[in-house]
Amino acid sequence: MSDIPKDLKYTEEHEWVRMEGSVGVCGITDYAQEMLTDIVYVELPEVDIEIGQGEQVAVVESVKAVSDVYAPLSGTIVEINEELEDSPEMLNDDPYGEGWIFKIEVEDDNEQEGLMDAEEYAAFIESMEEEE
Amino acid sequence: MKQTALHGEHIRLGAKMVEFSGWEMPVLYTSIIEEHHATRERAGIFDICHMGEFIVRGPGAASLLSGLIPTDLGRLEPTKAMYSCLVNEQGGTVDDLFIYMRDADDFFLVVNASRRETDLAWIQGHAPSSGVEIVDVSDDTAKIDLQGPRSTEIVEAVFQDADIGDLRRFYSLGITCDGIDLMISQTGYTGERGYELYAPAAFAVSLWNRLLEAGKPLGLVPVGLGARDTLRLEAGYSLYGHELTDEISPVEAGLGWLVNSPDAYIGKDVLTSQKEEGASREIVCLRMKDKGIPRDGYPVVRDGREVGVITSGGFSPTFDVGVALALVERGSAPVGESVSVSMRGRPKTAEIVPRPLYPYNG
Repeated sequence: MSDIPKDLKYTEEHEWVRMEGSVGVCGITDYAQEMLTDIVYVELPEVDIEIGQGEQVAVVESVKAVSDVYAPLSGTIVEINEELEDSPEMLNDDPYGEGWIFKIEVEDDNEQEGLMDAEEYAAFIESMEEEE
Repeated sequence: MKQTALHGEHIRLGAKMVEFSGWEMPVLYTSIIEEHHATRERAGIFDICHMGEFIVRGPGAASLLSGLIPTDLGRLEPTKAMYSCLVNEQGGTVDDLFIYMRDADDFFLVVNASRRETDLAWIQGHAPSSGVEIVDVSDDTAKIDLQGPRSTEIVEAVFQDADIGDLRRFYSLGITCDGIDLMISQTGYTGERGYELYAPAAFAVSLWNRLLEAGKPLGLVPVGLGARDTLRLEAGYSLYGHELTDEISPVEAGLGWLVNSPDAYIGKDVLTSQKEEGASREIVCLRMKDKGIPRDGYPVVRDGREVGVITSGGFSPTFDVGVALALVERGSAPVGESVSVSMRGRPKTAEIVPRPLYPYNG
C-alpha cells in the first residue's frame, strides 16, 4: 500500500500539492513513483513561466518509461527543485519531501476544490487497481 | 496471456509482471538498476521459458538449414552452437536464432517468442517432403539463463558431476540431474560470461530453485526482462522487432559477420552485395552528452537533416547515461561525431560511439 499523506491534495494524474500560503509545492505521488520504478531523469520547467491547470509542465523518465507531469493548479512557476537534475532518484526515495518538483504561485484558490483529498485519492487508486 | 512454468515462483518472489509477446513475464523483482548491477558484478538468473525451441533432424536437416541462413553451417560440430538469422528473399530478417548442433543430422533451434509460429511455418514451408523432421518443443522446454561473473561457480555447485569448467563459449553439454536430461551451453545475452540451460518444463521449478539456492551466498538475484534489455543494449546485441525486422537485413543491422556461407541460401544475392558494396543503412550506437533518455522511435538528426531513427534506447545503469542503437543512412553518423536526438521536439546532443558500449566480459 502506497503512502498518501493526509495534508496534501491529489490529481488523477498522480500529482500532489501542498499549499504554503499562496504557493503550491508540487510533486508526484508515492504510487506514481512505485509504478514508474527507477527514476533516472527529470526534465524541469523554467522558472517564471505561466501554466494552466492540467498542462504538461515536467517530464519524469524511469528506466522503463517516460511520464508527463501536469500542473495541478494554474499559476506561475516560482521555484524548481534543481537537485533532481543530479539526483533524480530522490523522487523514488522521498516523493513528498526532497523529491518535490516545482512550486507554483497559485492564481485561483477555487481550483483547489476540484482536487482530491487523501481519502478520495486512496479510493481512486483502489478503483484503478480493480480495473486492471 | 500465457504463463511460463515459473510463473508461481515469480509471484512468490514479488515480481512485477507485464505482458511480453503474449506472455505474462516478470519485468523486475526489486529494481531494474539493482538487477542490472547484480548481473554485471555477481550473477543473475532469468526465466526465458517464453522463447521457442524447435528440433530439426534427419538426413536432410543440414541441407534444409544451410538453405535458410547466411552463416556457414559447416562451422558447427556436434555440441557447438552458433548465432544466425533466417532471411527472406529481399534480405530482410525473418528472425534471429541460435542453432545448436547436437549431432550431424540433429539440430536444436532457439527462436524469439514473438516469431515462433512465423519461423515454424517458414522452416516447414521450405522443407523437402521427406528426410527432415521438424518438431516444435517450445511448450515442453524450459529455458533458464544464468549470467554474470559468478555464474560458473553456481552451475558447478549445482551440477557437481559435470565438467562445467571444460565447457567453452558457444559449446553445450548434456547433463543428467536426478534422472532428468538437461542441456547447458556457455552462451548468453548480457555481455557477461554465463550459461543457458534447457530442461523439461516439468523440471523448471526444481532447477530454478536449485540454482537460486546455490547462488544466494554468491549474490545471485532473479532478474526481469527490464534489466535483460538494459544489459543486452549495453552489450550491443540486436533485438528482433527493433534492430532486426522483415525489412532490415542482418548486414544493415551490423551483423555482416554472419554472412559467410558458401552454400546457396534464400536472400544470398542481396546480402552478399550489401556486404561487398555496403547497404544503404546501418545500425550505429550512440551515447547522450545532454541529459535525457533516447527512446525507440525518436528521430536522429545531423546538420539539421533527419538521418535515422532510434531502434532501441534507454538508460544505461553501467555508464549512468542514456544510450541507444539507431538505424541511420550509411555514413551519415560516423563514430566520434555528434548527432542530435529529437526528444519530444527538443534536440539533445549525443555522440556516436563504437558498438558495443560494453565489450564482452568473459
